[in-house]
Amino acid sequence: MSLLIKKLDQALEIIVILIMGALVIDVLWQVFSRFILSNPSSFTDELARFLLIWVSLLGGAYMLGKRLHLSIDLISHKLTVKQSLVIDSIVQIIILLFVISVLIIGGSRLVFITLYLEQTSAALNVPLGYVYSVLPLSGIIMLIYNFHFLLQNFAGLRTSSLLEKTNKD
Amino acid sequence: MGFESIFVLILVFAVLLAIRVPIAFSIGLATLVTILISVDVLPALTTIAQRMATGLDSFTLLAIPFFILAGQLMNQGGIAKKLIDFAKVLVGTLPGGLAYVNVISAMLFGAISGSAVAAASAIGGIMDPQMKKEGYEPEFGAAVNITSSTTGLLIPPSNVLIVYSLASGGVSIAALFLAGYLPGILVGLGLMLTSGYIAFRKKYKVAERVTLKTALFRFLDAIPSLFLIFIVIGGIIAGVFTATEAAAVAVLYALILSFFYKEINFSKIPTILFDSAKTTAIVMLLIATSVAMSWVLSFENIPQAISEGLLNMVESGVAILLIMNLILLIVGAFIDITPAILIFTPIFLPVAVQLGIDPIHFGIIIVFNLTVGLCTPPVGTVLFVGCSVADVPITKVIKPLIPMFVVMIVSLLLITFVPEISLFLPRLFGY
Repeated sequence: MSLLIKKLDQALEIIVILIMGALVIDVLWQVFSRFILSNPSSFTDELARFLLIWVSLLGGAYMLGKRLHLSIDLISHKLTVKQSLVIDSIVQIIILLFVISVLIIGGSRLVFITLYLEQTSAALNVPLGYVYSVLPLSGIIMLIYNFHFLLQNFAGLRTSSLLEKTNKD
Repeated sequence: MGFESIFVLILVFAVLLAIRVPIAFSIGLATLVTILISVDVLPALTTIAQRMATGLDSFTLLAIPFFILAGQLMNQGGIAKKLIDFAKVLVGTLPGGLAYVNVISAMLFGAISGSAVAAASAIGGIMDPQMKKEGYEPEFGAAVNITSSTTGLLIPPSNVLIVYSLASGGVSIAALFLAGYLPGILVGLGLMLTSGYIAFRKKYKVAERVTLKTALFRFLDAIPSLFLIFIVIGGIIAGVFTATEAAAVAVLYALILSFFYKEINFSKIPTILFDSAKTTAIVMLLIATSVAMSWVLSFENIPQAISEGLLNMVESGVAILLIMNLILLIVGAFIDITPAILIFTPIFLPVAVQLGIDPIHFGIIIVFNLTVGLCTPPVGTVLFVGCSVADVPITKVIKPLIPMFVVMIVSLLLITFVPEISLFLPRLFGY
């Protein structure tokens, strides 16, 4: 499991760096083509918007895996290890609810509907379903991270209750 | 109907936040539960997914990752250091010198970058050790750094003013940028006076006096960095670039400068791109779910309900403005600034317009209000970054922050009730 997570981290890191670099080049090309070539490119605006959706959601999945999304910390310092593991598991399940329902189910339906209606983008002529496919894709990645955290928490809970037992003995 | 759903929304959101569900997911889930009151499950899920995707599908929003990236490059590329050296020449030898230098550097950094977090880490990373060496208490240094970094959100370019432009349905970015200058400088001056006075009372050291030749050299050395102001703001106001294009040009310019200063080589670029992408992802996921929440609110006619309620219950415009300010201050403490702008602009802007407030002026009010929350717990991104670069615990910074907060609140009242501070420059340029 942890090997899978490591590979996933690395893959996302590379993809996200490539998209970020592509975004800069894309928009600079847009400026260059308008001012220097006086022949404004027609696709750069659209490509940039689609890349932004992809980098945001894939990056968002990566940050979930690193537990780096902003949250409010009001209670954690008052909890025992065991309590915080239980609460974190509840949090992971709540996140899972959103990921499965909105990103995976809602996202897949959106992909299928736009593919079925044969909606394509104006300049690049890409089926919009492909663009939106990053919703279920990032959802599945988040799901993997969620499961990883849940497994970790259960392992942690088991060792902490074992420790308690041995302490009592 | 409207009030039932807003009650559910607030309740779910508060419970999720309290148990530490990340804010972006709390916003998304509160949205989901609210929409399920009136819409069937499957269409509801698809609609939220769609709102999230179309919310990110914006060329204007792309300015945000670019300004984040430009800020990273300026931070690591030696540009922040040149601005600080320049600020030292300007104000370093006044009583309380290094505190002044910190505020002025943060304002200059804000004037070429779009993000307060970048300013706090760039300026704090250099100033905190220096102030510590000169005998300044690290908590005080951190408090000055944290609050002065927020001036960069008013002084253009500013990511959050771009977000307001989107949320308000198209108030001109150029006009908003012009409107931010004087309020940003006002807050900066207030912070300088206060921190300078405290530093003077505590008899902290001033920067060493430099020869005229060194002063001139440092001024010339800072010019290439300051030239970014003309490229970015000049380009946007003259209508040469969109804000996004200007931000991309700022990335290129900062990259060239940092190569020139030999602070960055090609091998560092992937790391810088990756760091920027990570910050971008946090902000963008917040934007995606906030756009969905904002849509659900308007679907349930909640903005109309609140604006009618406010206008009926409270007679005086002054009181309504104060109430909105108070709500925004509280909201800003709990939610990050970007989602707060996206969610509250559609609710409060119609009220403000009813009261005869210019949407440009209201943009400055809402943004400045929420920047105060960036420096307060429980959610204060600038506070977190400022404390971590200064290596002081958050609990210790609160006390030296209090006088700075007083300054910010007084400035907030001035900015709210004296529209000319915001509107003078935009009017001068014909907006």
